Amino acid sequence: MRALRRMAVAVPALVAAVVPAVAGQEDAAAAGRVVYDRWCAECHGETGQGDGSAAASMLPRPRDFTQALYQIRTTGSGQLPTDADIRFAIENGLPGTTMPGWPNLTDREIDDVIVYLKSFSRFFGQGPAPEPLDFGSDPGGGPAAIEAGAAAYLTMLCEECHGLSGRGDGTSAPTLEDWRGLPIRAADLTEAWVLNGGSSVEDMHTRMLTGLDGTPMPSAIDAMNSGVVSPDEVWQLSHYLASMGPREMPPLREVIRVGRAEDGLPADGAEEAWAGVEAFYFPMSGQVVQVPRNFAPTVDGLWVQGLHDGSDIALRVQWNDPSNSPDPNWDEWQGKITAALDLDGAAPIALDSAGAPAARPPDAVLLQFPFELPEGTDRPYFLMGDTREPVYLWTWDSESGVGAGRGRGLGSVEPLEDPVTGAATWEEGRWTLYVRRPIEVEGDGLDFAEGTPAPIAFQAWDGSSAEAGTRSSVSTWYYILLEPPASSTVVVTPLLAMLLTGAFGLVLVRRAQDRRRD
Amino acid sequence: MKRYLSHPFWQGAIVVVASYVAFEYVIGYALPVIGVASAPVPSSVILEYMLIVLVGILLYMSADEERWQRFREPIRATMVRRDRRTLRGILMVAIPVVIGWLAYERVKPSYAAPATLRAVHPAPPNQLTFRGETIELTGLENPLHEEGSMAEHLAAGKRIYVRNCVPCHGDLLDGQGHYAPAFNPVPADFTSSGNLPQLTESYVFWRIVKGGPGLPREGTPWDSAMPAWEQVLEQNDIWAVILYLYDQTGFTPRTWEEEGEGGHE
Repeated sequence: MRALRRMAVAVPALVAAVVPAVAGQEDAAAAGRVVYDRWCAECHGETGQGDGSAAASMLPRPRDFTQALYQIRTTGSGQLPTDADIRFAIENGLPGTTMPGWPNLTDREIDDVIVYLKSFSRFFGQGPAPEPLDFGSDPGGGPAAIEAGAAAYLTMLCEECHGLSGRGDGTSAPTLEDWRGLPIRAADLTEAWVLNGGSSVEDMHTRMLTGLDGTPMPSAIDAMNSGVVSPDEVWQLSHYLASMGPREMPPLREVIRVGRAEDGLPADGAEEAWAGVEAFYFPMSGQVVQVPRNFAPTVDGLWVQGLHDGSDIALRVQWNDPSNSPDPNWDEWQGKITAALDLDGAAPIALDSAGAPAARPPDAVLLQFPFELPEGTDRPYFLMGDTREPVYLWTWDSESGVGAGRGRGLGSVEPLEDPVTGAATWEEGRWTLYVRRPIEVEGDGLDFAEGTPAPIAFQAWDGSSAEAGTRSSVSTWYYILLEPPASSTVVVTPLLAMLLTGAFGLVLVRRAQDRRRD
Repeated sequence: MKRYLSHPFWQGAIVVVASYVAFEYVIGYALPVIGVASAPVPSSVILEYMLIVLVGILLYMSADEERWQRFREPIRATMVRRDRRTLRGILMVAIPVVIGWLAYERVKPSYAAPATLRAVHPAPPNQLTFRGETIELTGLENPLHEEGSMAEHLAAGKRIYVRNCVPCHGDLLDGQGHYAPAFNPVPADFTSSGNLPQLTESYVFWRIVKGGPGLPREGTPWDSAMPAWEQVLEQNDIWAVILYLYDQTGFTPRTWEEEGEGGHE
């Protein structure tokens, strides 16, 4: 009886407490909807299914909120995310995908939109609120931890997908699919700036413990519970992952400095000869200027090094590509990419009944120059020139090797008689291309001049991802500069200027003093 | 203090220092802070300006005999007076060192990219051809203001923007799409007050239809990755995107009446 009386008091109080909260939730969801419709719906779809009008040109596809499958969480595998997790993704975006961070939204707008996102799925609001995992504490980094982490990388079979050097070229890489059955890449761990969930040691550790739901990336917790690895080893592995490449995208420098090789040019692209040579990084984008466009390119940047000896110039170009195309192991992947991406209505490479592509395009790279050193800043059009002003090309592909050509617009290469030579090797998810040519040539090719910057631009294709023709990665124009020999004017001119000024000053002072004495 | 301010020599010195600060820092760095579009002045141009300032000061000082004498006085005193021996010695070393350093700066090998003077909003043509059809740009208005439903135009504009423009110009319309780092010059930032509010809708229409290849020389057409959208989009698609750009950023376009007064930058 007493209990009943207590309830009679408690229930209205509870209702009084809950009703405004629910009403508040409804208001927040309505406000969140306004934000969502304005900024999110075009990709994630009006009903949150990740099927907005632009979704078909995006890979990975926008999140389907009705599934409540979130990659970036602090909660256990298969669990819902916390509100803070969803906020983290909205504020920071998912680097390496088409999802940007949203610094334009206020805290309140983000709160509201989180309420609205959760309303797309019936999974939220059932059961207790999700709780973050206990991540323990970092025992610390350093060379020993990194070495132990490298061992854990193999123990935990990370290399099966991510590859021995972490470039996403493991043997399983061509078979990976997300929960939708769409092809998904194993992350390139050497490019920390495109890791979906951030790149700090803590971020790496969090992603490993939670796994990336909806992708093949599992949680390490089972391996920890069964004693395959210890919690400390997972931290050490995080330190190892964070040591696999630069933390930030290298700053853009517009001019490639080609230094003088005092002991002769390297004969190939092998590591040792190039170890001390400054490397320049150039980010690349999908070719989205002319149709058919490439909205999900494989090659997102390349490294360039150069040396010259006064008569020849040698360049080493390196870029990450998990496949050594053409490779039948990637047939299925190529078919899936072709089927998954909106190719602007272009006829995709036909697939046979087994889903294998009818053609296996090679990997390729173009180095593009004008035919003449420009006077002023005029250059040919950056996308392989045009019919009026063609470009001079150094071409390479994995089937026919190094050559030269004349480009008269995107996709048009006419072979050119030219003494450029070289070769490329593929190792653990990275191409290394070595090209060499005399600085000046007899034929039509560009004559470089020491000390004068020459325009240069790049283009790249990954055959195993059905990249061919206009579906490439591109850059705009940069410069390449051959260092002139050390010149005496650098020392003589300033000295002469100082001497003359000093002497002039002395004369002036002496004359002024003489006049005063007179 | 007042003694210095009223002395011609120190007046000249103050003008030199103030001019240098203005050319080097105010034009390039302070103006953008208060929202005026500007860019750092190249060092060769600063040198030229400074020479003009010096000549101007000397002309002014020597125009009046008494002022000229007063102007010269501290210089002469430093050259001859015994009690200024130390200062004289320091200057006799410091000035040649500065000159030597300036000379070194000019002859040292440079690895900088050649300067590109690029007009961000070059003058538009009077007419353009859209897939062979000639369109007069002068006085051209966005036809969608007069027909159909604005809500539908904006929805269409947004759909076309997100499908085609987002990779470079970004979801936030700030020119920071996921491909933006690969492009030099960087894609236009529509949230900047230097872009949309300065332009008529017909100007934006021209830039979208003809893209980078349609720029005049001063717009460095060889560098721009902006596609000529006439190959993909219909005219009304482009007009709808323009409505979306202004609606989403909250800017209003320039009108032809304003245009008549001000003209393009």
